[in-house]
Amino acid sequence: MRPTVWLASYPKSGNTWFRIVLANLDSPDAAPADINALNGSDTIASARARFDNHLLIESGLLTFAEIDLLRPGLYRHLAADIFEDPFERESRYPVRFVKTHDAYTLTNAGEAMMGGAHAAAGAILFVRDPRDVAASLANHQSVTIDKAIGLMADPAFAFCGSVRGLEIQLRQQLLGWSAFAESWLAQADIPVHLVRYEDLHRDPVGAVRGALHFAGWRATDADIAEAVGRASIEELQRQEAKTGFGEAPPYREPGSRFFRRGKAGGWRDELTAQQVLRIERDHVAMMKRLGYEPVREQEDSDAHRQTG
Amino acid sequence: MSGTHLYRASGLVLASEIALPGLIPIESADEPDARIAEGNVPSALDAVLATGPTWQRGAKDFLLEIPDIARFYLSGGRTIVFERAAGVADRDVAIFLAGNVFGILLHQRCNIVLHASTIVVGGKAVLFCGASGAGKSTLAAALGERGYPLLTDDQAAIRLDDAGRPTVQPDGRCLRLWERSIDALGLDDRRGEAMRAGLEKFFVDPLRSEADPIQIGAIYFLMQERPPHRAGIEPANLVEAAQLLVANAYRPMLIRRMGQREAYFRMGATIASDAGLFFLTRPFRFDAMDETIAGLERHWAEIGLADPGLISEARRPQPA
Repeated sequence: MRPTVWLASYPKSGNTWFRIVLANLDSPDAAPADINALNGSDTIASARARFDNHLLIESGLLTFAEIDLLRPGLYRHLAADIFEDPFERESRYPVRFVKTHDAYTLTNAGEAMMGGAHAAAGAILFVRDPRDVAASLANHQSVTIDKAIGLMADPAFAFCGSVRGLEIQLRQQLLGWSAFAESWLAQADIPVHLVRYEDLHRDPVGAVRGALHFAGWRATDADIAEAVGRASIEELQRQEAKTGFGEAPPYREPGSRFFRRGKAGGWRDELTAQQVLRIERDHVAMMKRLGYEPVREQEDSDAHRQTG
Repeated sequence: MSGTHLYRASGLVLASEIALPGLIPIESADEPDARIAEGNVPSALDAVLATGPTWQRGAKDFLLEIPDIARFYLSGGRTIVFERAAGVADRDVAIFLAGNVFGILLHQRCNIVLHASTIVVGGKAVLFCGASGAGKSTLAAALGERGYPLLTDDQAAIRLDDAGRPTVQPDGRCLRLWERSIDALGLDDRRGEAMRAGLEKFFVDPLRSEADPIQIGAIYFLMQERPPHRAGIEPANLVEAAQLLVANAYRPMLIRRMGQREAYFRMGATIASDAGLFFLTRPFRFDAMDETIAGLERHWAEIGLADPGLISEARRPQPA
C-alpha cells in the first residue's frame, strides 16, 4: 500500500510549485508537465465530490460541523483503500500525496479532523515569510494587501465557508497564518517535515530531496534537478500566459497572474512600513520560530536603545 | 394501509411510512416497487462484500449510517428500513431518504442513475450532469423560468423504452436550491420550506414539470470556464462519453465496485447513437446565466432539438 503524505500549507506558500515539481518527476518525455494536468498528487483533501462518493452521504445536507465529524473516517478509509481502477489514470507515484489547506483541527468529538496516524504517514508543511504571503494572498484573493493582512490574522477565516450556497469544496479552516503552522507543528499524531518556501528557492534540489526522502521516495538528485528545471518560474509564466492556469482563482482582475513573481523577499518593495509592522506584530512568535526575522520590531528596539 | 404516503420517483412507486417532503405525492398506485418503513436496523450485515466508513455492502443488502441522523438498511432494491437517532424529527430523516438513500436503492436495482438535473426541450429530455456544487439545479431552475419544464433535479434514472430508446424517468421532485441561487434567480416568492433546520437550502416549486418518461435529446457535462477550458459547447467522443457516464453516475464509486460499469458503457453507446453528449463549459457566475442559456438555445436549434420559433417564445420574459 502506498503511504499517504499530506502536502499542508497556508495558501501561497509553495505547495503548488512542489506539486508541479512532482508532476515533472514523472514526466514521460523531456517536455515540462502541463500545469493544467498535475497528476503527481491526489485531489485536494477538501474535495466535496470525493466525500459524497466514498461516504455515500450528501455533504450538501450537512452542516460544516457534521461534515467535519465524518472527515477523519473518510481520510483513514482513503489511505487504506487499495482498490485500483483500471480506467482511472493511476498514479505511478510511490507516495500518495494529498494537498490540503486545512489547519490541523479537532472535530467536536475531539478527533483530529485529518484522521490522525491512520490517515497519513506524515505531512510536509510548507511555510513562507508572512510578509511575502500577504502580497501574494492579496493577489490570489483579489483584495488589498491590508485586507490580506487582516485575513492572515483572522482565526475565523476559512475557504468555502459560505452557508448561502454550495461550494465545490468542503469548508477549510485556516485559523490564521501563525495558528495554521502551529496546528500542524503541535500535533503529535504524525511526523511533520517543514519546508520553507525560501529554501525551495535557495536550494531547490536539496529542499525537494529532503521532502521526498521524508515521504519515503528515494529520487535521485539528477532526476530532481531535471524536474526542478522544468518547473522554473519562467516556464510556469509561459504556460500561464498561453493557456491560463486552471487552479488559479477565477474572475480576478484582467492581467493578474497566479505565477506572479516566484520570488522570496519581494515584500521589501511591495509592502509599506506600516504593513510590515502590522504583520510582524500579528505573527512575531511564529515568525521567529520559523526563522523569519522581524525587521520593524528590531528597528523599534534599536530606536529605543538609541534614545534610551 | 393507513399512514402510508405514496410517491412516484425515478420510475418507481414508493410507499413510505413517513412523508417525504420534496417528492410529489400520488393518489393511488398498484403494488409499490419499494417500501420505506421505520424499524430495527442491524448493526452489521451478515455477509459483507465491502465496507466504507459509513456503509457496508452485501450481495443483496446494504447498510448506511448517517451519524446522529439515522441508520438505513436497504434490501434487494425493494425495502428501506430506517432507525433514527434519538430526537431526530421525521423531516430530518426524510430529507436523506428521498434523495441520498433512494439513490443508493436505484444503484442497488442496477438502474442507470446519473447525477443530473433534467429539463424538457422540444419534447426531449436534456440532462445537465455534474458533481454537487457544479450548478445543475441552478441551471435547470434558470431554464425553468424560461418555460422549460423540469423533469428531474439531482438524480436522473435512465431506462430504455419499448422501442429501445433511452428515456429519463421523472424524479417527481421539487427543485432544491441554495439561498444564493434563489436570490440571484429571483425565486423568493416560490421558496418552500428549508430542507433542514438551519440549512440555507430550500425546496422551490418549478413553474412546470413533466410527469412522464421522456426520450433523451442531449446530455451536457457541466464544466467551469477555467483554463484551459473556454466557454462553449463541444461534443464528447464515444470513449469519453462512456467514461463520463460512469464518472457522472449518482455515486460512481458504487458503479465501479459493483461491476456495473459495462451497463453504463452500453448505455453510453446507445445514447451516443440516439442523442448527443456534449461538454458545456460556462462561466461559473450568475451574471453569465443569460449568455449560457442563449448558447444552449442556439445549440438546440443546431442539433434539431427545438425549432427556433419555440425557443424565442420560451425566452420571452415571464409576466411579473
